[in-house]
Amino acid sequence: MSQWRGQVEATLSSVCFGIAPIFAKKGLMSGLHPFHGGLIANGTALVIMIFFAFFSGQMRGWESIKKYGLFFAILSGICNSVALVSFFWAMSIGKVALVVPITCTYPLFTMLVAYFSIRESEVIDRFTVIGTLLIVIGVILTI
Amino acid sequence: MSFSILLSVVTALAWGIQSIFLKKAMRDIPLTSAILISLIINFFVLVFLIGVSAEKGFSVFIDISGPIYFYFMVAGFLNYLLGRGLYYSSFRFISITRSTSISSTYPMISVAFAIIVLGEKLALHQLIGIGLTLSGTYLLMMRGKR
Repeated sequence: MSQWRGQVEATLSSVCFGIAPIFAKKGLMSGLHPFHGGLIANGTALVIMIFFAFFSGQMRGWESIKKYGLFFAILSGICNSVALVSFFWAMSIGKVALVVPITCTYPLFTMLVAYFSIRESEVIDRFTVIGTLLIVIGVILTI
Repeated sequence: MSFSILLSVVTALAWGIQSIFLKKAMRDIPLTSAILISLIINFFVLVFLIGVSAEKGFSVFIDISGPIYFYFMVAGFLNYLLGRGLYYSSFRFISITRSTSISSTYPMISVAFAIIVLGEKLALHQLIGIGLTLSGTYLLMMRGKR
């Protein structure tokens, strides 16, 4: 059951990731710089998340957060930011037709790094490898 | 290799490994805190970038109309909050590789939108791409059923 729950969540996240750019595109059609739009979008999520964390009582647990977890959460945030900056930078100087397909290969990097870094919790068999490759090639062809 | 290709590879690499760092973080901290930390860092990076690079700086925000704010707020809610929340939450139940691969199929949604709403027609390579993506997703999902 939990297997299906994880897959349903991943599928729904894909739907959210697919619909969000439609709204962002409508916003960007006004001529607004992507960084400004990004700040509004990120700021909205941040404010809602702070309210949620505050009213659900999860802010109280912050002092007990372990340094190990905090360190990796910060690294994850930095990686997100690096991706954001390099993506916009690449889009501004390169061809969209080249930049977007290359960036779509990120599941391959996840698979590769996961295999070497968290082998104990990751099952990477031939089905996972073939499935991931099919998705990446399929997405590149669709764009 | 041109600089734009190098930047594209950096983007893919950073997107690819951020989920692994988050999975490691989620062993010690709750999902809400992990998302919050990520959003705070992104927020300050964007503030910094606007401060140093954007032509008009922060004064632009005064002139932005209500509907444009609305579009980006919906985009932010869907992408940064709901999308990421569901994506990171799925790490608790399935492997990162499967979760990342399934969630990376989002261009299919854009294609479906283009067909249904905009009435666009697909080229042959796009149809092949959809077929491959769906096959890959099916394979990953059936792998979970075993």
